[in-house]
Amino acid sequence: MKILVVEDEKGLAESITEYLSKENFVVEVVHEYEIAHEKISLYTYDCIIVDLNLPDGSGFDIVTYAKQQSASTGIIIISARNAVEDKIKGLEIGSDDYLTKPFHLSELNARIKSLIRRRHFGGTNIMNYQEIRINLNARRVFVQDEETILSRKEYDLLMYFVSNIEVVLTKSAIAEHLYGDDIDTVDSFDMLYSHIKNLRKKLAEKGCNDYIQSIYGIGYKFGMG
Amino acid sequence: MKLLARTNTYYITFSIIAYVALTGVFYVVTEFVIYEEVEARLQVERQDFEYYVAEQGVWEESCYFVENKIALQAMPDTLAPLEVFKDTLFANRYDEEIVPFRQYSFYKVINEQPYKVSIRKSLIESNTLLTFITLTMVVLLGIGMFVLFLLQKRVSKKIWQPFYQSLSGAKSFDIRHGIGLKMPEEPIHEFQELNQVLEKMTHKIAADYQNLKEFTENAAHEIQTPLALINSRIEELIQGKNFTDQQMYWVEEIHTSSLRLSKLHHGLLLLSKIENGQFYEHELVNITQLAKSKFHDYQEVFEYKKLDTDFIEHGNFIVEMNPALADILVTNLLNNAVRHNVVRGSLQIEISSHQLVVSNTGESIRFAPEKLFERFKKQHQSSASLGLGLAIVKKICTYYDFEIVYDVRDNLHTISIVNSRAE
Repeated sequence: MKILVVEDEKGLAESITEYLSKENFVVEVVHEYEIAHEKISLYTYDCIIVDLNLPDGSGFDIVTYAKQQSASTGIIIISARNAVEDKIKGLEIGSDDYLTKPFHLSELNARIKSLIRRRHFGGTNIMNYQEIRINLNARRVFVQDEETILSRKEYDLLMYFVSNIEVVLTKSAIAEHLYGDDIDTVDSFDMLYSHIKNLRKKLAEKGCNDYIQSIYGIGYKFGMG
Repeated sequence: MKLLARTNTYYITFSIIAYVALTGVFYVVTEFVIYEEVEARLQVERQDFEYYVAEQGVWEESCYFVENKIALQAMPDTLAPLEVFKDTLFANRYDEEIVPFRQYSFYKVINEQPYKVSIRKSLIESNTLLTFITLTMVVLLGIGMFVLFLLQKRVSKKIWQPFYQSLSGAKSFDIRHGIGLKMPEEPIHEFQELNQVLEKMTHKIAADYQNLKEFTENAAHEIQTPLALINSRIEELIQGKNFTDQQMYWVEEIHTSSLRLSKLHHGLLLLSKIENGQFYEHELVNITQLAKSKFHDYQEVFEYKKLDTDFIEHGNFIVEMNPALADILVTNLLNNAVRHNVVRGSLQIEISSHQLVVSNTGESIRFAPEKLFERFKKQHQSSASLGLGLAIVKKICTYYDFEIVYDVRDNLHTISIVNSRAE
């Protein structure tokens, strides 16, 4: 999977690249508008991450251009501007998602994966992790062919975990993924805790191994070790 | 009232007054001229009469067969006062028609007998003349005034044309286009000046607005980008396994603080954007439906806090406002009602066509209630809340002229938002 990151802030671009490389994406980075144009016209990417504020041009133009070059490319806008008008404009000209800075890398990762899944496996879409099988279209979860009924939030939580395997996720990243920005952090952390407890219990009931590890003071990690 | 209608009204009122006055003056003048003429002729006839009497020594009625032309009346003396010129009426000899006469009276001594002599002239022709002249003048004057009125109407319409153009130009001015108005050159000095002032003003407004917009955008970019870097680096940092618990705790603290900083900055920017009127897209928003769906989204939190909740709906609260601000308004109110609520407390939303009332249980506030809507006013300075939620609510209400009322009774806090412009 090839990803192009168009971001002028070098540190942030580097950080995104490192994070996504670990997820086995092939990541290319450009810092300038002109070079981004060149790259898009020469190569095809599965996903392009575009910052709206570039020193020599607008990210919107890149979105439009990329859509013209290859309509199947997924596009995620990352911007410091938290304006609804920008979000709407971005979606209108063909981007698939909009993330406001600062964002959690794990959130970006989850969105890229969800976007690629939507683009490439339109029909039956099954995800496996060890003995867990997730039917993405039906939003049903099976542990060794036995279904476990999860609530909406528990399902979202599990999806977030399997999108970020072996990654330490902060409580705030998970809470924001589940509840968005609006709900108060104190309540959402507590609610998150009870969701994780229930998810653990439901998976364990069907004989699933416990992949959710608590990391002291920080959050959780989903994986084998 | 429209400018042209107003000038027309003035014009018509003035014309009618002038018309009536002129007609009156004209009638009086014509009448005066006719009388002068008649009297002059009567005096000539007196000379004729006196010449005749001097020559003949007597006056014979038959000399003047025209009826009532000259009448003599014997008088004892010439001392009684005499009205020299006088209007009288006499019946016509044949058809008994009453006819107006002008009468000239004087004393004349014929054969030592004083007589009062009255020479008369019929006014019937003069009156007809007067009527005709006056009527003609009245009609001509009327036509003249009507033509002038039409002319004035056309002229003022033409003269004010540039003004209406400037007006519609000013109306079409849209601050979002980022440029001021371009006005056409006008030959009339005052309109040219008006256009120049409009151009200058709109350019200034547009430039100021653009600056402000760029500032908020830049501020967002310049502050959020480093914060994004800090956060992403922290996320990478915590993937490492060689931290002690203590160090992990520090890292997490840096993480939450920088996230908080970012939210705070977003909140402050939002406040200044509302204050500067940078939300210009307005549409009809149904606050009732919005609150209902938000209420639904919060079910999980309500259940978690074991709140006794109630949503009472009396009608659709529909207002024209920016949808994003409407969303923020309702979200912040709900957040506030949940955050400061107590476990097993209550939360109620009551909404009608013109007001939204959110009431919730909670501990009593320790500062003056009027400071509730100030920014950074918090119950506990250390609390996780940013202290901006209600300040933003207040700002949105002020921006849209909503009335906002806070009331507390037995630890039940009520915030009402009233759209006073609704019927």
